[in-house]
Amino acid sequence: MFIEISGIKKSFGSGESRADVLKGIDIGIEKGEFCVLLGPSGSGKSTLLNIIGGIDSADEGYISINGEKTADMNEKALTLYRRKHLGYIFQMYNLIPNLNIKENVEVGAYLSDSPLDVDDILKTLGLYEHRHKLPNQLSGGQQQRTAIGRAIVKNPDILLCDEPTGALDYNTSKEILQLIETVNQKYGSTVIMVTHNDAIKNMADRVVKLRDGVIRKNYTNDTKVKAADLDW
Amino acid sequence: MKNPMRRRIWREIKGETGKYVVIFIFMLAIIGVASGFFVADISLEDAYDNSFEKYNIEDGNFEVAQVPGDDVIKSIEEENKLTLYNNFYSMQPSVHGSHIRFFADRKEVNKVCVLEGKLPQSSGEVALDRLYMKSNELELDGDVEIDGKEYKIVGIVALPDYSALYENNTDFMFDTEKFGVGIASQEDYEKFCEMNIHYSYSWKYDKAPADRLGKEAVDRATELSKALTQKVQLLDYIPGCNNQAINFAGNDVGHDQIMMMVMLYMLIVIIAFVFAVTTGNTIVKEANVIGTLRASGFTKGELIRHYMAAPIIVLIVACIVGNILGYTVFKDFMASAYLGSYSFVSYSTVWSPKAFIYTTVIPMVLLSLINFIMLAHKLSLSPLKFLRRDLKRKQRKKAFKLNTKIGIMKRFRLRVVFQNIPGYITIFAGIFFSSVILMFCLLFNPLLDQLSEDTVNNMIAQHQYVLKAPVPTQNEKAEKYAVTALETTGKDFTEEISVYGFIPSSRYFHEKLGGGKAVISNAYADKYSLEEGDKITLKDKYTEKEYEFTVGGVYTYPSTLAVFTGIDDFNEMFDKEEGSFTGYLCSEEIDDIDQKLVAAHITKDDLTKTSRQLKRSMGSMMTAFIFIGVAVIILVVFMLAKVIIEKNSQSISMTKILGYNKREIGGIYIHTTTIVTLVSIVACLPITSFALDKIWRVMMMQYSGWIAPDIPISAYLTTVAIASASYVVTALCLKKRINKIPLDEALKNVE
Repeated sequence: MFIEISGIKKSFGSGESRADVLKGIDIGIEKGEFCVLLGPSGSGKSTLLNIIGGIDSADEGYISINGEKTADMNEKALTLYRRKHLGYIFQMYNLIPNLNIKENVEVGAYLSDSPLDVDDILKTLGLYEHRHKLPNQLSGGQQQRTAIGRAIVKNPDILLCDEPTGALDYNTSKEILQLIETVNQKYGSTVIMVTHNDAIKNMADRVVKLRDGVIRKNYTNDTKVKAADLDW
Repeated sequence: MKNPMRRRIWREIKGETGKYVVIFIFMLAIIGVASGFFVADISLEDAYDNSFEKYNIEDGNFEVAQVPGDDVIKSIEEENKLTLYNNFYSMQPSVHGSHIRFFADRKEVNKVCVLEGKLPQSSGEVALDRLYMKSNELELDGDVEIDGKEYKIVGIVALPDYSALYENNTDFMFDTEKFGVGIASQEDYEKFCEMNIHYSYSWKYDKAPADRLGKEAVDRATELSKALTQKVQLLDYIPGCNNQAINFAGNDVGHDQIMMMVMLYMLIVIIAFVFAVTTGNTIVKEANVIGTLRASGFTKGELIRHYMAAPIIVLIVACIVGNILGYTVFKDFMASAYLGSYSFVSYSTVWSPKAFIYTTVIPMVLLSLINFIMLAHKLSLSPLKFLRRDLKRKQRKKAFKLNTKIGIMKRFRLRVVFQNIPGYITIFAGIFFSSVILMFCLLFNPLLDQLSEDTVNNMIAQHQYVLKAPVPTQNEKAEKYAVTALETTGKDFTEEISVYGFIPSSRYFHEKLGGGKAVISNAYADKYSLEEGDKITLKDKYTEKEYEFTVGGVYTYPSTLAVFTGIDDFNEMFDKEEGSFTGYLCSEEIDDIDQKLVAAHITKDDLTKTSRQLKRSMGSMMTAFIFIGVAVIILVVFMLAKVIIEKNSQSISMTKILGYNKREIGGIYIHTTTIVTLVSIVACLPITSFALDKIWRVMMMQYSGWIAPDIPISAYLTTVAIASASYVVTALCLKKRINKIPLDEALKNVE
């Protein structure tokens, strides 16, 4: 098992205001798998993604990636782990406002010992002609594509996507999903995507449905469809 | 691969041009001035230090009543292992009521440094001290009146044993307008000496002590004075280690370096805090980007280096340009401030690594360190906290409660204050620092004026004569008195205390003395915190014999540190014969005493020369410092208030959308800063006053004499006025910034 998530529990606050966000999560994800974490707001899916990404910690349980437990890593090792193995995509693109599009992608490339070719990525993402523009000169979809470029240029083993289409319209969302699908297939990255869009489950290899901090369903998708064919 | 984040550093500087230009100019000015100061200071110090060897400066001098015979001179030289040099001089009256001490050309010891022109060759020619000439507006090749006769000035000189123009070693301060030194041709010198002559001898040890101011030098000087009293009748004795005319300038140069360093580093610390607050604001603005970068694997160190880069680059450029300006433009300006006070021998610029370390390395380390600490603290939050823009370490559970009876606008303003407490604390600190500078500069002249006025109002007598021998006078207003000088007994610092003896029922000293009672001057009481009943011990500076007094009262006499006793007690204490006296006090000039027998004639001019000289030498420096104070206020308040406005740009935009007009918005954001600034200006006054009192007292303890730190009301009022006016300039700029915030700002990036 490439990613092993075992007995993860997480709560916030204390006393009366204590909220148990994750109540014991066990999931196994294979290398190269496209996994969708599905659930309504407050179900704990983003918290789980953050724990997998090493930017939040679990109260109980562990996450093992390729045999290495993240809980055993100190802050420095966790940073190195994220640097070498993870790519992050957020709902709000979080691009650096005073770097142009190419430079924003280069920020990702800088972190890797063997990055992909930045111009190739820009061409793949359809951003090559916009490479000298600043983020605020682009549409939301183009900005999110830049964020994807920044995440994948370092050729990460795992791509973590937190509601990547949450701020986009239908057509742009589909474009973004196709891109992530391409990354998954072309580069073999394991993709874990958090979404509350039920339709997206259809393009995933694995679907994990969460509600109130527990897994309601965890199954592999035998009738996977292409992102281009999704509809909602 | 080079870090692409580096490319945004320049863009960050370009994007915040206003902020960085203001800081750059400020840094450039202070580093330029500091660098110029240190280069000038170190160069002059170097010239001063080298002058001892180059001009063969004496190890000491003494004056005798009669010229000793050759055998006496030989025995003094042999017994004390030294060589004596004839250094006779004559005092001649000159322009503006001044006096010039004329020497013949000195070929062996205290050699003359000719700065311009030449030494006098024939009768009617003189060479004068540069500073004396400047103070009296005399020019090379011009004429000068000496004792009623015109002489041509053929040379501008510096005598290395008069780098500070002290007429008497006991003077608190020199007066370059009233006293100067010069070289006359041999013929004129002899003529001058016929009128009056002082038999002064300089000595050089065969093997001088390693440290000319150290214990060995002091011990040898003490031994020599004892030996000399056995051989000659000493009128004056000034060992090199105690000679203010030689040492004062060198000491002052060293003292000023420390003062400049303290000021420079305080300014750098304030700048560093301004940077820290503005960078902190950038971090808040870019929290989501930082969160993403940290989540992507950027280390904390990489981000710290990134955010430190812009201020460090600005500092480096300011340091480089500042040093260039320091070595070129400011050096001469700063040197001229010294050359306006001291008669230094010629100097050349010394390229000193010390100046570079003081003005470049240490400021950079300080600025980097403060920024590093702030950034390390801010960036130590988890990436998740940055992504959530949750940058408070302790989450406030509820909003700070404000009484709802307070109007909404007032509550709004209070919220702005609570939100920006660190910024306002820095504003307060900046205002405090500026107030110290401003008030120090503003109190300087009034304090000296006050001292002059008090001195004149409290003079014991309009004319005070010190005689070489007790001679009678027919002047009925003349009153006999006695005076001598003792020293304090401190370990590291001693200074001279005048001890007076007045006749019973003196018409000039209005306090009953006699019966062992000793009264001290208020200057002495204030400086050493002495009260009635305290015991003081003073010593004879030549024999080390100690004398004890009990303070029986304090007498208003602000110009001198003095002890007053009855003349009979005085004579008994100093083993003088009954009826002995050393001079006269008189309300008018005494004209029936042979001037050759007058050692000193002290008038209003002599007692107020400290004020005059300090104003002359420090006046322009004080004005320059006022500008620094104003610049600090404008910089600190503007930078920090700008941060507050930037932080609130979305709220300001929203208030505009809601329909608030410019005046109302200004009322919330600018008036809040106005209130905090004005409150800070006023609240700083007592703290500044307290701090200045302490600083002044510590500073004055390093010098002989005393100027009481009575801060005049005008200094307070002017400080408030200048600080407030500086703020008005800032407020106008802030208003412009608020007006510029667009309506759509509120709709951007709202998460």
